[in-house]
Amino acid sequence: MTIKKKIILGLAVVLIAIQFFQPLRNQAVEVPATHIERVYAVPQNVKAILVQSCYDCHSNNTRYPWYSRIQPGAWYMAEHIKKGKDELNFSEFGDYSARRRRNKFRSMAGQIKDGEMPLSSYTLIHRNAVLSPEDKQVLIAWFGTMEDSIK
Amino acid sequence: MKNVKLSIIAVIMAFVTVSCNQTSNKNEQSSNDTAVVSQEQPASQPKENDTVAAPVVNETPNGQEAKATGKEETKNFSIAPIVTDYLSLKNALVLDDDKAAASSGKKLLATLNKVDMKAVPADKHKKYMDIADDAKEHAEHIGENVGNIHHQREHLASLGEDLKDLIDLFGTSQTLYQDHCPMFNDGKGAVWFSENKEIKNPYYGSKMLTCGKVEKTINSK
Repeated sequence: MTIKKKIILGLAVVLIAIQFFQPLRNQAVEVPATHIERVYAVPQNVKAILVQSCYDCHSNNTRYPWYSRIQPGAWYMAEHIKKGKDELNFSEFGDYSARRRRNKFRSMAGQIKDGEMPLSSYTLIHRNAVLSPEDKQVLIAWFGTMEDSIK
Repeated sequence: MKNVKLSIIAVIMAFVTVSCNQTSNKNEQSSNDTAVVSQEQPASQPKENDTVAAPVVNETPNGQEAKATGKEETKNFSIAPIVTDYLSLKNALVLDDDKAAASSGKKLLATLNKVDMKAVPADKHKKYMDIADDAKEHAEHIGENVGNIHHQREHLASLGEDLKDLIDLFGTSQTLYQDHCPMFNDGKGAVWFSENKEIKNPYYGSKMLTCGKVEKTINSK
C-alpha cells in the first residue's frame, strides 16, 4: 500500500467514524408560553415569513433537511443554531425584559434592512428563506410598530 | 526494531515529564508574580499617607484591606467607570474610528462585568441588573463589529438609553450633556451623552458632526 492510499483510507475511516457522533437536535414539540406568538399577536403574513426564514436558527425548533445528518456538516449547523439562539430566541422572547424586547425589535429591523439577516451562508442552501423586498417591508414595518408599542 | 520502539517511548516519556514540569513551574512563576504585585500595592500607599503609618499598613493582610474598600463602595456606588468607558466609545464613533470603538466596547463590557453586585444598593438591584444585562450585550456587539461602524452606532443608540436610565438611578459624578440626534433610527431619534457642551454627533461622525441639540444638562451629584 502506498502512503497516499493509506492517507485516503485513514480519512475515510475518520469520516465514517464521525457519522456516529451526532449533535443534539434542536427540536421541541410544544410551543412554550414564552414563544413570541404566545406573547404578541403576530399577524399571519409576518408569522409565515418568520417560520420560513428565521425560526430555523432563532427558535427551539429547527426544520432539518435530510442532509443535515451528514457529518461534519451537522456540527457546523448545530454551532450556527447555538449562536443564533444566543443572540435571539423567539421561543424565549417572553422571558426577555421589556428593554431587551424593544431593543431586539429594533435590531431585527436593522438587520433586515441592512441585508445582514438571514445569513447568506444559510440562504445559499435554503433558497426559499431569501426575503423578497415585500417580505422585508412587512417585517420592518411590524418590528417598528412593536418597538414603539413597548415603553 | 524493539530497541527503536523502546527508545521512541522513552523519548516521549521524557518529553511529557519535562513539559509537565514546565507547566507547573509556569504556574508557580505566575503565582509568584501576583504575590509580588499585591505586595507592592500596600507599599505604594504610605507615600500618600504618613510614613509612620507604613508598618501598620504592611501588617494588614491583603484580603482584609480589599474587604474594607468593598464596604466603602457599598455606601456610594458610582457608575463613573461606566460613564468613562461610554464617553471614550462615543468619542471613537465621533471620529468614525470603528477599531477604537470596538476596543472601547470591549473595555466597557469588562467594566460592566467587574461591577461588584454587592455594592449596588439593594432597592436598585433589580433595575440595575436589567439595564446592565442589556448594556453588556450592546458593548459586546460593538466590540465584535470592527468594519461595521453603522452596526456599532445602532448599538450606541441602545446604550444611550441604558446610560440615561443608569444616570436617573444613580446620578453622575461629572457634569454631562444629554444630546439628541433627530435623524438616527429612521427619524425616531437617538440620545447620546457628552462631557462637552459642543455638539459632536457620534451617530453620523464627520458626515453630520454638528447635527443635534443639547436636551438637558445633568449636573454632578
